Amino acid sequence: MSAQERLSAVVGHLNPLKTSGKAKILEKHADDIVLTLAIRTPLTKARKGGLKDTPLSDLLISILTALREKSNIDPALIEDVCLGNVLASDQAYIARSAVLAAGFPATAAASVTNRFCSSGLLAIQNIANQIISGSIDVGIAVGAESMSTCPDKGPPSMGDTIEKHVLAGQNTQPMGQTSENVAGQFSINRKAMDAFAAGSFQKAETAQKAGWLEGEIVPVKTVIKDPTTGESKEIVVNKDDGIRYGTTAESLGKIRAAFPQWSPSQTTGGNASQITDGAAAVLLMKRSTAIKLGQPIVGKFVGATVVGLEPRIMGIGPSLAIPKILGKFNLSQTDVDVIEINEAFASMGVYCVQKLGLDPAKVNPRGGAIAFGHPLGCTGTRQVVTALSELRRTDKRIAVTSMCVGTGMGMAGIFVSEH
Amino acid sequence: MNGMLEFRTQGYNGYAVKYSPFFDSRIAVAASANYGLVGNGRLYILGLTANGIQAEKWYDTQDSLYDTAWSEAHENQIAVACGDGSVKLFDVSVPEFPVMSWQEHNREVYAVSWNLVTKDTFASSSWDGTIKVWSPNRPASILTLPTHSCTYSTAFSPHSPSVLSSVTSDSHLRIFDLRTPASASNHLVHLIPIHGPGSTGGISSVGGNRQNFPPAEVLTHDWNKYRDTVIATGGVDTIARTFDIRNPRGGPTTLLEGHQYAIRKLAWSPHLSDVLLTASYDMSCRVWTDGSTTAHPGIIGGAKQLGQMNRHTEFATGVDWCLFGAEGWCASTAWDERLLVWDVRAIMGQG
Repeated sequence: MSAQERLSAVVGHLNPLKTSGKAKILEKHADDIVLTLAIRTPLTKARKGGLKDTPLSDLLISILTALREKSNIDPALIEDVCLGNVLASDQAYIARSAVLAAGFPATAAASVTNRFCSSGLLAIQNIANQIISGSIDVGIAVGAESMSTCPDKGPPSMGDTIEKHVLAGQNTQPMGQTSENVAGQFSINRKAMDAFAAGSFQKAETAQKAGWLEGEIVPVKTVIKDPTTGESKEIVVNKDDGIRYGTTAESLGKIRAAFPQWSPSQTTGGNASQITDGAAAVLLMKRSTAIKLGQPIVGKFVGATVVGLEPRIMGIGPSLAIPKILGKFNLSQTDVDVIEINEAFASMGVYCVQKLGLDPAKVNPRGGAIAFGHPLGCTGTRQVVTALSELRRTDKRIAVTSMCVGTGMGMAGIFVSEH
Repeated sequence: MNGMLEFRTQGYNGYAVKYSPFFDSRIAVAASANYGLVGNGRLYILGLTANGIQAEKWYDTQDSLYDTAWSEAHENQIAVACGDGSVKLFDVSVPEFPVMSWQEHNREVYAVSWNLVTKDTFASSSWDGTIKVWSPNRPASILTLPTHSCTYSTAFSPHSPSVLSSVTSDSHLRIFDLRTPASASNHLVHLIPIHGPGSTGGISSVGGNRQNFPPAEVLTHDWNKYRDTVIATGGVDTIARTFDIRNPRGGPTTLLEGHQYAIRKLAWSPHLSDVLLTASYDMSCRVWTDGSTTAHPGIIGGAKQLGQMNRHTEFATGVDWCLFGAEGWCASTAWDERLLVWDVRAIMGQG
C-alpha cells in the first residue's frame, strides 16, 4: 500500500499497452492481404520508345505471363484479374482476352477499373477488397497503358449542363491548365518546379546506374517498327528510357513554357510527367493462403482511400489523400519511410511536399513520373512496385503511395514491405 | 455551457461521485489528498440548494478513498472503499466516525456496489484479487469471490439479487451467480475476454487484422438498467465496449472509440437504455449511444459519441446520473478538486 505502488498503478493506466498505429500495421495476421510478387515492364517513351508498337493487349499478355512464370503460382488458382486502364477503348474485351492468352485457364475472370491516374492503385484495392470480403482467394491487379496506341485526347464534350456547372464545368480544363492553376493559386515558382523536376531525374539516374530498378523490371519481348523503313523486328525491352542523365535545374530552366496560353505558364516538357507506355502487376492473396501455397510474401496491403476536390486544382489531391490515409491508420509522417507522390506536374509535386512538410529524402527516392514517365493506368501499380523495391533495398518498412487524379480527386494507399 | 454547478473539494482530489437514491438534492463525493497516492481521504455529503452546492457534512479517513455507494435500504447510510483495505459504512446522522468498519481486504479497495434488488447487501473489490459481499449488520463478510487479479470494479446486477460482476487488470469481465453451487469455480459463470475480436458484422470478422486488441487493464464497468444482459466496460485501452452476456464468446457488441487516455468510470443512463456516460484520464467526460435504439432490428450499428464535456482540468475519475427529474442531469468529479453538476443535453453534438 505504498505511495510508490499506487503511483505505478496510475502510471500503468496512462501508458496503455495500446499499440501505436505503426506497431499495429506491422503486426502479421492470417487474414492480412499480402503481395507475393510485384513487377513491372520497363517504361518507355510513347511513339519513340521500345514499346511504341506494342498494343495494350500485348503489353498485358507480357506482364501477366511474366507474373505467372515468376510467381510459379498454379494459374488455376487465379480467380479474378483487375485491370487499371484509362485510355483504351474495348478495355473489357482486351482485359479478359489477354488473361486467357497469357496462359490462365477459362476460370480466371477479368474486369477493368478506371479512375484515371489512380486506376492501378484502385485495381489493387478492388482485388484486396474482394479477398477481404471472401469473394475470391487469389487475384491479380494489373495497371497498364499504351499511350502510343491509345493517345490521350483530353476532355470530351459533355453537354451544356455539365459545361456550365460551376464545378463540373472545370472538367473541361486540360490537365496542363490545372497544373498552371496550382502554380498560380499557390504561388509555386518556376525555379522550385525545375529544382523538383531535376531532383526526380537525378534520383532516377542514380537508381538506374546503380541497378536498383532491375529489381522492379521484367523484360518485354516485342516487335518494333522502324519509322522510316516501316520494317518490323523483334526486340527485348529491358530498360526505362525516359531518364535524361545529367539533368539540372539550370538545364530545365531553359525549356520554354508548354502552355503559354495559361498563366503563369511555368509548366514545361521538362517539369511535367512524360507520355509513356508500360505495365505493372501484383499478385494478391491472404497471408494464410500465401503460407499454404508457399508463396513468398513481399509486402502487405494495409489500406487505401480516396478524396475529392475542385477539379481545377486536381493536382493537390495527394495533399488531402495522404493525411486522410495516415489518419485512418493512426500513423504520423515520421512512421513512414517512403512516400510516393505521382509527379504529374512539378507544380503539384512542390505544393504537396511543402503543404504537408514532407521530408524530401522520403519523397520518390527513385524519382518519379517526370523522369520515368506516366503511363496513366499503370502508374498506381508501378509506384507500389517501386516503393516495395526501395523499402527492400534500404531495409525499411512502410510506404505511402499517392497520386492526383484528373477531374479533381486524390488517392493514397499504405503498403508494408516484408522483405 | 450555462447552468453548470460547481463545488470545490479543496485539498482533495475527486475519485468517485454518487447521487443519493432517496433525495434528488444529495450527492456524495469520495476524494483523497495528494491524488490518492498518500494521505487522508474525505467523504463529502453535498446538498444541491438554491444557493448552489453546499457541503452538508464530511468525514475524514486515515487513508485515501476510491469509491462510494449509497445504501439502497437506509437513506442516511453510505459505504466507502478505502486505500488501507478497509470498507466503512457512514451514517449521515452520526458525526465524525463510521458506524461500521471492516478490515478484511489486504490491499486498496477500489470499488463498492450496493445490491439494488434485495438492498440488504453490498460488494467491494480490491487490488488484493478478491470481491467480498457484506451485510451492514454483520461484523464479517458473508462471502469472498477470488479473481486472482487486481479488481478495479465490481457491480451487482440491477436485475437479479444474486448476480454480480467484476472487471480486472487481467482484461476480463467476470460474471458470478451466487445461486450456483460454490464448488471449484466459486460461483463464476462467465469469464469474458474484453480484448477479443468484435462480433459486429462482416468487416471485423474478415478484416480481423484491423480489430485485434492486446489485453489491457479494465478499470470500470456497469450493467445496463433496461437490458438485463448488457454490460459496458472501459479501461486502459481507451475503448468503451458493450457486451451481451447471453453470448459470452461473441466478443464486444459495440466499440466506442474516442477517448485519448484510459476510461476511469462509466455509467449507463437510468432513463435511456442506449446512453452511456464516461469519464477519462484524458480529462473529458463523454456521452455515447450504443446504437441499440436507432439500429434497424437485427442490424448492429449506429454506436457513436453524442457529446463531450471538457470543463475538467485534470483526470476525470467519477461520473453518475441523477435518478430524478429530467433525464440529462449528471455529476462528475476529477483530480482538479471539483465536482461539476451538469446537463448532458447541453453538450449533445459537441466534440
